[in-house]
Amino acid sequence: MLSKSLGGKRGSLVAILAIYIGLLLVAYLNSPNLGNFGITVLSGLFQGMLLFLVAAAMSIVFGLMDVLNLAQGAIFMIGAYVAYDAQHPGGVIDLTAVVPNNDVRFIVALALGFGAGALLGFILERVFLRPLYVRPIFQLVLTFGVSLILIELAQIVWGTTPNSWVEMFGVRENFFVLFGQRFSTYRLFVVGFGFVLIIVIGLLLKRTRLGIIIRAGVEDREMVQSLGINVKAVFTLVFTLGCAVAALGGAVAAPFLGAAPSLANTYLLTAIAAVVLGGMGSYYGTAIASLLVGLAVAVAQDATIGTSLGVLPSITPLLLLILVLLVRPSGLFGSSR
Amino acid sequence: MNSLKSFLKRDGWMLFIFIGLLAFPFIVATLTGSSPTGVPRGDRMIMRGESVRWQAVLIEVFILSLLAMSYNLLFGFTGVVSFGHALFFGLSGYIFGILLEYTALDTGLATGLGIVLGIAASGLLGLGIGLATLRLKGVYFAIFTLALAEMAYIFFSRLQLTKAEDGFAIGELPVWLDPTQSRLTFYYITLAVFVVGFLLLRRLMASPTGAVFKAIRENEDRAQSIGFNTLRFKLLSLVIAGMMAGAAGILQVMLNKKVGPEMLGLTYTIDPLLMTIIGGTGTLLGPVIGAAGLHLLDVGLRDQVIALGGASIRIADVWGLILGAIFILVVMVFPYGIVGTYQRWRLKRQHRGDPASAATSRAARRQSG
Amino acid sequence: MNDSAPVLAIENIHTFIGQFHILEGASVAVQQGGITVLLGRNGAGKTTTLKSVMGITPPSQGSIHFRGEPLAGKPSNVIAQMGIGYVPEHRAIFRELTVKENLQIAERKRGDLARRGDLIFDLFPDLKRLYGLPGGNLSGGQQQMLAMARALVPENHLLLIDEPSEGLAPVIIEQLMRAITRLTDHASVLLVEQNFRVASRLANDYVIVDEGQSVASGLIANLVNDDALIQRYLGVA
Ligand SMILES: Nc1ncnc2c1ncn2[C@@H]1O[C@H](COP(=O)(O)OP(=O)(O)O)[C@@H](O)[C@H]1O
Ligand SMILES: [Mg+2]
Repeated sequence: MLSKSLGGKRGSLVAILAIYIGLLLVAYLNSPNLGNFGITVLSGLFQGMLLFLVAAAMSIVFGLMDVLNLAQGAIFMIGAYVAYDAQHPGGVIDLTAVVPNNDVRFIVALALGFGAGALLGFILERVFLRPLYVRPIFQLVLTFGVSLILIELAQIVWGTTPNSWVEMFGVRENFFVLFGQRFSTYRLFVVGFGFVLIIVIGLLLKRTRLGIIIRAGVEDREMVQSLGINVKAVFTLVFTLGCAVAALGGAVAAPFLGAAPSLANTYLLTAIAAVVLGGMGSYYGTAIASLLVGLAVAVAQDATIGTSLGVLPSITPLLLLILVLLVRPSGLFGSSR
Repeated sequence: MNSLKSFLKRDGWMLFIFIGLLAFPFIVATLTGSSPTGVPRGDRMIMRGESVRWQAVLIEVFILSLLAMSYNLLFGFTGVVSFGHALFFGLSGYIFGILLEYTALDTGLATGLGIVLGIAASGLLGLGIGLATLRLKGVYFAIFTLALAEMAYIFFSRLQLTKAEDGFAIGELPVWLDPTQSRLTFYYITLAVFVVGFLLLRRLMASPTGAVFKAIRENEDRAQSIGFNTLRFKLLSLVIAGMMAGAAGILQVMLNKKVGPEMLGLTYTIDPLLMTIIGGTGTLLGPVIGAAGLHLLDVGLRDQVIALGGASIRIADVWGLILGAIFILVVMVFPYGIVGTYQRWRLKRQHRGDPASAATSRAARRQSG
Repeated sequence: MNDSAPVLAIENIHTFIGQFHILEGASVAVQQGGITVLLGRNGAGKTTTLKSVMGITPPSQGSIHFRGEPLAGKPSNVIAQMGIGYVPEHRAIFRELTVKENLQIAERKRGDLARRGDLIFDLFPDLKRLYGLPGGNLSGGQQQMLAMARALVPENHLLLIDEPSEGLAPVIIEQLMRAITRLTDHASVLLVEQNFRVASRLANDYVIVDEGQSVASGLIANLVNDDALIQRYLGVA
């Protein structure tokens, strides 16, 4: 069943499982105790979920519209900045007086991040990408340019030094103890939320009319349009939602990662690694690959703490990406070349 | 005699500009009363004065033009998007620098070897990347180059041997080449490399090979179905582009006498892309005009401060944003760039009152084959 | 709209694809409740004519009127919404979608599929059995049936059907022909068909397209006896 929705690639499924088991084994052997192992795994899943939020739409949008949105990382970054700004006193949006409760304000901050992403996505598709569908090479270049502009803008508005999250609020500070280690409730919550989202989006693609249109559009846009469906409007909707979800990812990540210009390119490249590994356009492939890349980064982080190999975590996704492109560019679950 | 006449008619203005560039250091020297070779102090030369300062600016223009022309060969003429052009630029720069600073070779030998190895490595790198990804859809190549450049950037930013993110200085170059000693000579050398690069590119694009490049850009499947091995042509384009960018990187290292990871950074990918698009994608002169325009603008505006409703903004701080805005503007409303727009305008004027000339009717197609 | 006005009137259209001038003056009319067949050699411009109607390759000159309304400048989804169903050549069904989803996606109003289900399964009983299968798993004939069924889901006044019999076995062609004949109770048809025998049995009117121009038209009954015309443009005797 799962293998069918992944394009019937049994071999890929086996390979993925083997990689997962391998990663977990490395993490396990590297950990002095179960608690430490658990922390690595949770951190991997957490990072994987963040990646999924960036990568899922990238993959769907690429499949449907043939646009690889290179601004997706920058939109993640904007989400982080907006959430940070909304949560903390001062800044562009000061909500501390309006919403004094930290927890509630965080929810508002998340919503604002989501909204900012949606707005950016809408403008980007409607104003900038729409005239360029006849010149796809320029679309690629344009999203790249938009990414740079967003990074520049963020630096002008919020400064070049990274903001690290100081505002406290309930969920973020809560933890539970397992195997003698403290686990962040917030991370667990994000991971749980991520799993729910994976399934919800999956059902949306499978069951709703929009989902059917998206899957049909991946195959043959012209035919979908000839059936009376306004494909342009579908493009705008899907692109807008995709950017909103990526920005939400940034907002969700902000309490841990803070807000910094460097988030943009890091998450762009890491998400691309997940998208390519999963097979461009394959939704469940992207989900599985996102978690895998997240886990790989976490394992690398854990393994290299206090060693001179501190670069390894940051180049792990790049290495994965390059490796996949060299060995199997269609990714694990992709079909087309 | 006749051919000279037609040459002058067609290319006379280029010759004129070339002569202008040859005379440039002396013109500036005369106008500003400075020396074109700098000021002697003891047995060394100090690079002071307007003439040498402007020589440096133009040297940068030549280098950037070379880089942009190489980008344009790929992007504009062959239709391949690279987001890692800095790779070629930086790699050859590092190889050249390492040979000079980290080997016991005699300076002259190291320079020669560095040039050869640097350019060869860039070409090989292009070949390798191409073999790995050019078979795939265009985005994969773009992604692969982006990731590879980022890897190289991170790698060299951390590599202690080459002084990590600070990079390392080149202590000594052959005196006749050293821009801090013989800037005028170096000016003519970069000018020569630039002109040779330009002419080679022009020759290439006028040849059957260039025609295939353009056919690939227009429609790769069709080019393939006509019987061209498009992969081989794309590889060729990439190798030539890589070598040209590599040459630019070496000149840059000579000019600054320094190698650092910034040469591998996004800037040296975005700049040529921007210069190409602004000047005119897929035109010979476009990248040159783009490079000259942007760089001169940068030099002229860098230190300007504008007052905006009480706040004063240093142009240098918002330069990235300005570039980005120009970038978007050009892509959206000016997609053929300066040269391309001009060419279309001229073509339209020639064809006025003859609207059918652009289309191919069935009868015309029957005639031609 | 009087009874004799054609459902579809294509008048002297010129269509470009890129810089190529593909249609150089094509005129076609489809009468209410009738079947008009487009005949012509490979590459004559038959498919392009259908695509011009759909607005996929909009004509740059000439006019197309559907039930008296001009189609110029309308995007293809709007043209479809006006009541035109398109069954493209090579059976362009969605291979990754199930038969059910292939039909669902064609709904223009909620409940279209439920309303037309009986008709569809009556015409193409095989589809009932294949309902949950991906379109890509179907045989060529089954895919063609699905493509036609898809055009029947909403209430269309006109169907554009491009070479339905191409590459299919005679038995299947028979079945398709019966279905197309029965379609005319619901919609008029503009049919492209290379198989002259099939075309002559189905259609009322014909238009011959050659080199991008409509060169002859009339009642199909007259064409059947005009060996010279057939020989000249269709290369069959
Ligand atoms: N995308 C295209 N680009 C260039 N020429 C095309 C394209 N599509 C079709 N043509 C040409 O248009 C002509 C008519 O094609 P078509 O309408 O498909 O013919 P038919 O359906 O009658 O066989 C053919 O000569 C074909 O080569
Ligand atoms: Mg056809």
